Amino acid sequence: METPTLLGLYRDMWLIRAFEQGLEREFEKGNVPGMLHTGLGQEATQAALAWHLEATDTFFPDHRCHGINALAQQRHGGNGERIMAELFGKATGVCSGKGGSLHSADPAVGNFGDNAVEGSYMATVLGVALAAKMRGQRRVACAIIGDGTVGRGEFHESLNMAAIWDLPVLYACINNGYAISMPVGEGHASADIVDMVQGYGFECRQVDGNDVVEAWTAVGSAVEHIRSGAGPCFLEFKTWRWQGIFAGEFRPEAEVKYWKEERDPIMLGAEALGERGVDHAELDSIELGARDVIEEWIEFALESPAPDPDKATADVYVGWEVSSR
Amino acid sequence: MTAADTARPARKARTPRKPRDRVRKASFTQALNNALDLAMDKHAEMFLIGEDIAEMGGDFGVTKGLLAKYGPERVRDTPLSEAAIIGTCAGAAMVGMRPVAEIMFADFIAECYDQVVNNVAKLHYMFDGQFKAPLVIRTACGGGFGGGPHHSQSVEGWFLNVPGIVIVAPSNPIDAKGLLLASIDSDDPVLFLEHKALYRSRAEVPPEYYTTPLGAAAVAREGADVTVVAAMRMVPMALEAAERAAADGVSVEVVDLRTIRPYDAATVLASAAKTGRVVVANEAPRIGGLGAELSARISEECFAELRGPVVRVDGLDAPIPFSVPLEDIVLPGTDDIAAAISSAAQY
Ligand SMILES: Cc1ncc(C[n+]2csc(CCOP(=O)(O)OP(=O)(O)O)c2C)c(N)n1
Ligand SMILES: [Mg+2]
Repeated sequence: METPTLLGLYRDMWLIRAFEQGLEREFEKGNVPGMLHTGLGQEATQAALAWHLEATDTFFPDHRCHGINALAQQRHGGNGERIMAELFGKATGVCSGKGGSLHSADPAVGNFGDNAVEGSYMATVLGVALAAKMRGQRRVACAIIGDGTVGRGEFHESLNMAAIWDLPVLYACINNGYAISMPVGEGHASADIVDMVQGYGFECRQVDGNDVVEAWTAVGSAVEHIRSGAGPCFLEFKTWRWQGIFAGEFRPEAEVKYWKEERDPIMLGAEALGERGVDHAELDSIELGARDVIEEWIEFALESPAPDPDKATADVYVGWEVSSR
Repeated sequence: MTAADTARPARKARTPRKPRDRVRKASFTQALNNALDLAMDKHAEMFLIGEDIAEMGGDFGVTKGLLAKYGPERVRDTPLSEAAIIGTCAGAAMVGMRPVAEIMFADFIAECYDQVVNNVAKLHYMFDGQFKAPLVIRTACGGGFGGGPHHSQSVEGWFLNVPGIVIVAPSNPIDAKGLLLASIDSDDPVLFLEHKALYRSRAEVPPEYYTTPLGAAAVAREGADVTVVAAMRMVPMALEAAERAAADGVSVEVVDLRTIRPYDAATVLASAAKTGRVVVANEAPRIGGLGAELSARISEECFAELRGPVVRVDGLDAPIPFSVPLEDIVLPGTDDIAAAISSAAQY
């Protein structure tokens, strides 16, 4: 990897972290309705995925993917603040505030939206991929899923159908060790998801999700493989989420300490850049730059108006109006 | 065993039969098949997907011959993966394709209920109109043939409470074709219900491309004294009951709903207001179903015109048993509608 690329990824990781930390703060103040899941600790995987997906590709983000959504929105649309505004439920959000954190979409940047029924878009991704294949388009359809999704029937239906139809699907499974409180090895036949996926017979790899260089390289070759028409690819990113459960931290202290202090993807990225001779001042300015951008986005979200009341019943059907109260 | 044992008896000389009506008429199944054929020809972005629909032509023969004509890319067999079938349709529709899925028996929709309710029906709304879901889910529903608890249900009630989905429910071959073509043309997702008992019904179905509007009921028979509102198999039953009532001097109007959601309240309410006596006939269990909705709506909006309470004919509040005499008890029939008409006519 060239140093400018690593610097770019480092910048992206900081944007994600600043986004999530800013969001946490605003959530605590009561400015962000609903539930909050963050991608803190998973920035390397998210930055790697966002990097390689073009606006003409498709991704289905999960509940921790605000960062990917924002990067795609910023990179392909030039308006990352609209993701922030969506999470605040504002008119300027990508879905006019109708979707929120769990349903932010903008097809113009390849974001086809989360489905808060975890793993249901394992089925939807098949159709996007099938359409691309039928039309002869070299496009990647990516489903970003947590380890918890592996328990869903749709997870397996999807892998099976992608295999028999050789569909251009990238499965990015973020194995952060737990589904809410359920340890991955207790909830599934194997703590290594790839062990379960191998039988479907397509390209399948486990990746260190906290090493941005390894994650970026793996996503890059998976995307290339899929674009070449070689069929689906499954990547399992081993990582760890900083957010515990709503009630707080439930994981052993030593585990928390290890992942936060020794395996922080941003810290690891800074070390790699340091070894390449990038100085501290430059790294600090990247962090500060990201925080400034996020403060502007938060400001934008706070100042944006609430959605027009007509939106409450708009677009239920294409062919019919639904009457308001 | 000798050759003589296995030889067939000589056939009796056959007298040439009179050409029967049914030779010229098309069945409900053929009308649907013809609609799919015309639509596949019209929409390059349309494809068919489901279990055993390709080579075999579907469990009920609705997709027969289409594989040979349109090829395996556009006529796709799948494994037993109902959620993946509907997910595939949703994803493809999000990028502008126009998929038509077959779910072999409506009962199996429970397997993809999440896909329909939480994704397909909400796609357009929750993403602020940025996506459309122009897909059709065809499925064989209804009882009356000894199919038992998992091959006989009427599922419209499962979806009545789901904004965003269109539920289409034809009662005859002519409407079946026109409504299916309109459903495929529609940019809203359609659950297209094919009552199994109607597959063999026949009518003179125009061979050309035509559409029957969605969301529009039809007055299947005009009358002055009692209105029967019905859909699917309840319509031919209501027409027969109306015929019997006519013999007793009661003039019955039959409203064929055709689209169950969003339904044509204007036609229903106009007929209810005209006759002042209403029967709503529905094959599904009574509680929380179509009959409940229609009865409530008519009672609310035609209170002044009604001469008596709306009379409901529904399935009993029980699963559908296998044994035919038991099934006959659980499902409503012509006699039940006739009795309901008599009861309504007393007011
Ligand atoms: C089908 C479904 N079941 C349960 C839930 C509730 N739920 C939300 S997140 C979650 C855990 C998901 O775990 P995982 O996929 O590992 O993602 P993580 O939060 O660890 O990133 C659950 C059970 C849901 N949203 N959808
Ligand atoms: Mg997890």
